[in-house]
Amino acid sequence: MAKEECKALLDALNKATACYHHLVLTIGGSADSQNLREELQKTRQKAQELAVAIRARLTPPLRDRGLGAEERAEFERLWVAFSGCLELLEADMRRALALGTEFPLHAPRRPLVRTGVEGGASGVAARALSARSLRHEAERDFDVEDLHQLEREILKVGEMIQDMEMKVNVPRWTVQARQTAGAELLSSASAGVSSVGGVSVQQRTGPCDLSKALAATIFSAVLLAAVALAVCVAKLS
Amino acid sequence: MAAGPAPLGGHPRAQRPHLSKMERVVVSMQDPDQGVKMRSQRLLVTVIPHAVTGNDVVEWLIQKYCIAEDEALHLGTLLVQHGYLYPLRDPRRLLLRPDETPYRFQTPYFWMSTLWPAAELDYAIYLAKKNIRKQGALVDHEKAHYDQLHRKINHTWDLVVMQAREQLRAAKQRRKGDRLVIACQEQTYWLVNRPPPGVPSVLEQGPERGSCTARQVQMTVDFYKREIECCRKALGRTRVKSSVCLEAYLKFSSQRGPHDPLLSGCLPSNPWVTDNDTYWAMNAPSVAVPTKLRVEQWAFSFRELLEDPVGRAHFMDFLQTEFSAENLSFWEACEELRHGGQAQVPALVDAVYQQFLAPGAARWVNIDSRTMERTLEGLGRPHRHVLDDAQLHIYMLMKKDSYPRFLKSDLYKDLLAEAVVPLEMKRRVFPFMWKPRHSSPSLALLPTSTSGEPEAAAEGSSQQADPHKAGGPWTELAEAWHSSLAPSPTFGTDTQSKRHSLVVTSRGHGGAGGCATPTRPHQPSSSVVSQRPQLCHPVGQKWFQPCHPSTNQFWFK
Repeated sequence: MAKEECKALLDALNKATACYHHLVLTIGGSADSQNLREELQKTRQKAQELAVAIRARLTPPLRDRGLGAEERAEFERLWVAFSGCLELLEADMRRALALGTEFPLHAPRRPLVRTGVEGGASGVAARALSARSLRHEAERDFDVEDLHQLEREILKVGEMIQDMEMKVNVPRWTVQARQTAGAELLSSASAGVSSVGGVSVQQRTGPCDLSKALAATIFSAVLLAAVALAVCVAKLS
Repeated sequence: MAAGPAPLGGHPRAQRPHLSKMERVVVSMQDPDQGVKMRSQRLLVTVIPHAVTGNDVVEWLIQKYCIAEDEALHLGTLLVQHGYLYPLRDPRRLLLRPDETPYRFQTPYFWMSTLWPAAELDYAIYLAKKNIRKQGALVDHEKAHYDQLHRKINHTWDLVVMQAREQLRAAKQRRKGDRLVIACQEQTYWLVNRPPPGVPSVLEQGPERGSCTARQVQMTVDFYKREIECCRKALGRTRVKSSVCLEAYLKFSSQRGPHDPLLSGCLPSNPWVTDNDTYWAMNAPSVAVPTKLRVEQWAFSFRELLEDPVGRAHFMDFLQTEFSAENLSFWEACEELRHGGQAQVPALVDAVYQQFLAPGAARWVNIDSRTMERTLEGLGRPHRHVLDDAQLHIYMLMKKDSYPRFLKSDLYKDLLAEAVVPLEMKRRVFPFMWKPRHSSPSLALLPTSTSGEPEAAAEGSSQQADPHKAGGPWTELAEAWHSSLAPSPTFGTDTQSKRHSLVVTSRGHGGAGGCATPTRPHQPSSSVVSQRPQLCHPVGQKWFQPCHPSTNQFWFK
């Protein structure tokens, strides 16, 4: 079904955009490196491929006037989500360009901001590309050329958005979102608990884990003691 | 859409120079050799580097910029308030403490200049993420924002939920320490851009700071040429000496002072105050008997006389006695030409010529030969200003010649004598009392002659009015002025004690019936007040003790 395919592609694009956003967050900070720039490039290229694919899938049904009202509504919903995603991507790409220009990697007089974020983000990029892991194969001056490439890509994405607006006329305000307020809580209840608990410095998950570990050790100790007693009793009797 | 991309190159940046300055400071703090000393933050299991203490920051600022400690503290606080530095222990209190409190630098993505203005969609995604993390336990104002955003950008709510989930999942791919730091960074950003209620927003800038781009004026040859031209034009303007101007201004003010309804009150009464429009009826443009003030105004200048229809009519009568009425008729005809319709211009010019200017015309006007020549030339191509010269000549003639005679004539003197002086509306019960000249007190005089109470009292004065008076504070003031000096007959029926207070305060020496004080809680009840008028006779008020002893205190201020 075209709709399922579109949905799957849209989810992938959504994932790629979110990962790209996450990666762009760290540009200019202490985690900035050649690897990061390479990951950024790969992520955004994947995102753009997905965008082109979705657009190719979504445009014909929406331009088809003979489509039923419900189906059309569904496609419009997908379209709105798609264009929103694309705009988020474009915005992040622009910011990446601005930040990349401001914080070149090899300029001695311009140190990176020490933000406390260390460690690589290859996991994030791998998630975006739906790959298991990522290989880094960038050359030395990767970031400079990358910026030029990024500029061109931004223009391309801008044109695509413009084109989309021209070709397909979907009034945004008429689209009714399927998710209600608080919908994010429903399915991600399980995901939420295990993610970062609080943003305060005191780690609240720390003590929780500790208490669990403590309980486990006490229980096992009690169990061992019980077993030892039973053995003693058995031996003595 | 709502993602709000900043244009490449940063036009918003150029508009906010203080942000780029702050960023320079922050970047110079990052120098590995000369920057701020970095420490590590140790949590239970994880160690996160790049923490600075407030003390270090202040000391570094003092040392680098050679400033005093206060200034360094202030600068540091600015950095924290704009989100370039965030506290680790108490993230909601954005200020710099010069002690061991740890801070950390914000990532450049969340700097004010990169990501401004904050987009609604981003905020919605952030709130959704927080919702997921906190299992629905959002802070009040965040909840309110969440609901509001849900209504506002309902059409993209699918995207919001999808993105929120995905961003959280992406974050999980990082180490714990990084995750914490990134979450802190985002929280700080939103604390600065969407401050909780009660916290002043740093982003607000007053209207005068709207455009900080001071255009650099290039001191080129063109610039100086323009300046010279400007100055030359300014020199060529006719100037009047300020002494002359001021004299004329003083004369104008002193002459017109008594005629101004606001400055000197208006007879019979101010219609806005008393709702009685006799004043307007008596001063209508065409009225049989003009008021005295109006007739006096005709003596101020010729223009006043001509502008007043009644005045003009009388002047015409006067000119007829002097057999020079054609001057005024000609002038009026020229006025009609100037202000009339374009289509009638040729016909009118022709008529005027036939009647006033032609050699054997019925009402020939006496214009000097040069002007006449010019006019006759212009008549070939008539337009509405072709008779302007002639009109001006006749105008000056009338002004210099007929007008002074008119003012000295018997006609004018008779008019002055016949002119009516309207009576004031209030009937004075006791004529030997000093009456105020006008029924509406002068606004210019009132604040100076009263104590500080009138505004408060006026504010509190009641809206209920007497049958023949309109309500409103000015009624009360009018009442006050009157009643204080010559008590009104309606006073006794008034049971509103507030008016009494108004009366007392506006004329410190003796309002009638000071049965109320500004200190309202100790008011006598209205029933008590209603009995007062019999005892506190309006006349007697002035000399007798007030009925209510507590009003003593401000009677004789």
